[in-house]
Amino acid sequence: MALKRGQPTPADHSPGERQEPRDLETLLQTLLDGDPMKRRWAARDLADHPTAAVALATQLQHETDTTVLQIIISSLGCIANDVAVRGLIDCLYLEQALLRNTAIEVLKELPEPVAPHMGQLLQDPDPDVRIFAVNVLESLRHSNVEEWLIGVILKDDHVNVCATALDLLSEVGSPRAREALQALKQRFPEEPYIQFAAELALKRIGVE
Amino acid sequence: MQTPTVISGEDFQKFREFFHRKTGMLFEDSKRYFVDKRLLERMTATDNESFRSYFTMLRFQASGAELQTLINAMTVNETYFFREEYQFRCLVDSILREVVARRSSSRPIRIWSVPSSSGEEPYGIAIYLLEHWPLLEKWDVEIISSDIDTRILEKARNGLYADRAVQNMPGPLLKKYFRRVGSHYQISRSLQEAVEFTRVNVHDAADMRSHRQFDVIFCRNLLIYFDDLSRKRTAESFFDALNPGGFICLGHSESMSRISSLFQIRRFPEAIVYQKPLEAR
Repeated sequence: MALKRGQPTPADHSPGERQEPRDLETLLQTLLDGDPMKRRWAARDLADHPTAAVALATQLQHETDTTVLQIIISSLGCIANDVAVRGLIDCLYLEQALLRNTAIEVLKELPEPVAPHMGQLLQDPDPDVRIFAVNVLESLRHSNVEEWLIGVILKDDHVNVCATALDLLSEVGSPRAREALQALKQRFPEEPYIQFAAELALKRIGVE
Repeated sequence: MQTPTVISGEDFQKFREFFHRKTGMLFEDSKRYFVDKRLLERMTATDNESFRSYFTMLRFQASGAELQTLINAMTVNETYFFREEYQFRCLVDSILREVVARRSSSRPIRIWSVPSSSGEEPYGIAIYLLEHWPLLEKWDVEIISSDIDTRILEKARNGLYADRAVQNMPGPLLKKYFRRVGSHYQISRSLQEAVEFTRVNVHDAADMRSHRQFDVIFCRNLLIYFDDLSRKRTAESFFDALNPGGFICLGHSESMSRISSLFQIRRFPEAIVYQKPLEAR
């Protein structure tokens, strides 16, 4: 026995998960196959078919295998049309933290498609969803991020939502946020964390 | 334009948190000079006179191009034989022990090194196995190494290295596996014949499809150059390129946990690596 020169995998050498044709219709059928590996591959290949967003988003609600679910979320992120983004946003309402967090990570990478939904998300009746929306803002490359955050700390009544926004403002805040930060301190005078984090944000913004 | 102003302590802190979140690289206070110098260089290059304006560009630029350029500036793009050798020790002392323990057939163990760069890593793995893994007497091992750059692949196949590339190679091994050619070192023909080099774009599903059934993947200091979604997609492709229970080794500043939760963390005495669950298909 020894070191041997390896070769790329021959097409007929793998256990069958990609033996079906890769056209849209077949992939959509394979997405419902009993074998999770076949579903995973179908979900991955469907990323090249924007019209598959509906099927992928629907499958999100029924899929039981977490590896397939994660691939579906990535594929929706690649498609990134409105249907796909709505499918990802629906994940923010799920109980499963793994899927929710995966969807948040993907949404962070989609500034333009996500932007039209952000206002509504930040006003969702569920404070957890509003916190997740702020989590999306964490890495969103969008020029409105600071404005959205200022809006949150000016208007949101929930201390945890404000605290989450405050953490991010201490990184991205500019002098524009100064008044809102002062106002936040006054709205939550009994909350030591808000006082501390707002002071930190103000210090970072500086005196320019 | 004017030379940018200095980076304040608050600026450094803010940058450090952001950069850590984006890349997994955490700069200690002792690296302050190194970080400041590169930040100021990039601020000058992008005509930003204040840290604030540069940071805004870095944080919100739609293309992410400046972040990528800064990552390049902050990382040491150096490759040499036995770089991060502790992972090779982990391979022979821990990973392969598990791989062979659960192997029911005598089919070869497959190792994939990507990106190949100029070949130091795959040849280094081959040398390490020959020198430190006695079970090579009983098992066949296939090493495949891939890169997107055909010029670098040609260089890897040629196996000709300058002094700097072999600086960590112990003298006896240098003598055993290399031949001096002028001011360079030529890797032995037997090693050249032991490693297969292939062109692969890890973002291309068709390329990835033909690279499968691996027991171990070395993918060090590559994912850090991708945006988050591409990184995630690549990790998912690696998941399907591995046999159940297969392992993936990333660079020391990279963490799969930040990229995808498909893999399990394995903390071996020598290194932390990531494993495709045994029950995964």
